[in-house]
Amino acid sequence: MSETSQPTGAVAPGDVNRRVGVEVIRERGVDVEALIEKLIDNAAAEFASTYYYYSILRMYLAGHEDYKEICEDARLEDRQHYELILPRIYELGGSLPYSLHEFADRAGCPAAYLPGTDNGAHPPAEPPPAAEILTVLLESERCAIRSWQAICDICAGKDPRTYDLAARILNEEIEHEAWFIELLAMERDGQVRPSGHFRRGAPGEAPYSRNRPFAHGGS
Amino acid sequence: MTGGEQPARYRVTFELPTGETRTVEAGGEEYVLTAGRRAGLELPSRCEVGWDLACAVRVLSGELDHTDARRYYDQDREAGYALICRAKPRSDLRLRTHQATAMRDHRYAHHLPTPRAV
Repeated sequence: MSETSQPTGAVAPGDVNRRVGVEVIRERGVDVEALIEKLIDNAAAEFASTYYYYSILRMYLAGHEDYKEICEDARLEDRQHYELILPRIYELGGSLPYSLHEFADRAGCPAAYLPGTDNGAHPPAEPPPAAEILTVLLESERCAIRSWQAICDICAGKDPRTYDLAARILNEEIEHEAWFIELLAMERDGQVRPSGHFRRGAPGEAPYSRNRPFAHGGS
Repeated sequence: MTGGEQPARYRVTFELPTGETRTVEAGGEEYVLTAGRRAGLELPSRCEVGWDLACAVRVLSGELDHTDARRYYDQDREAGYALICRAKPRSDLRLRTHQATAMRDHRYAHHLPTPRAV
């Protein structure tokens, strides 16, 4: 018996219009189009709701240099989350909106506005208290946890690649929440709520979500 | 509320996609989603800050307070949609659950910002 070229599954040999990497997860029950929409909403939240607005929040933490450093880690790691998930959107056949305005409007979490600015309408009349800034940071991280957990729930056992990426992001969002609980509990309530925080090796190190070769330890 | 007054309690009736109807009790200072889940209902949510539409319901009767919701428009209220993760009851309520897609389409129709995923 000679071997013949047999199409397998939904993608014919040589077909460049469809991807086996997409069809295999569709065959396992993932609504790929709905997943793409969720990933874009989450990417928008990382980029437009937190990375951008955390840049402003950190500018108002003068005198709280420890808070500023930790805010900076969260800020840079949220950008890394955007960078990590972006290629997956395109792999699945999706695309970023062609307007940044549209992208920001569809974010899955609220913008982390600086307190005292009426949702970014004007500069604050007074420097916002650190506790209010920490509260914004904490609630932003909580929304991110819920959003990435939802992706993991959709992909578990069906789409290992998206699951892996979302889980890496989720790991860091959970750390961020614990950091801000620790800081807010002391700043606002004088209470100790240890987070297990260790200083990142470099600002925004993103130990889970930065792409790098595992075999060589990365750099 | 003054010293001897009882906190407000309301009856919230959920119409579920299965056709089942469930009535639960909700306090005036708790979110409707919280009350529903306490009663064992499996109700969807994601952001839980009144921003995305995962928890959207259609208000068939009654009044809700959306003060704590991060993004809720007058047009949403006028069209009869509510985000129960951050809405408190202000009267007895009758709600049709699982309305995220319909509320998203309503937002599109009114050119209002919205997450696209539901």
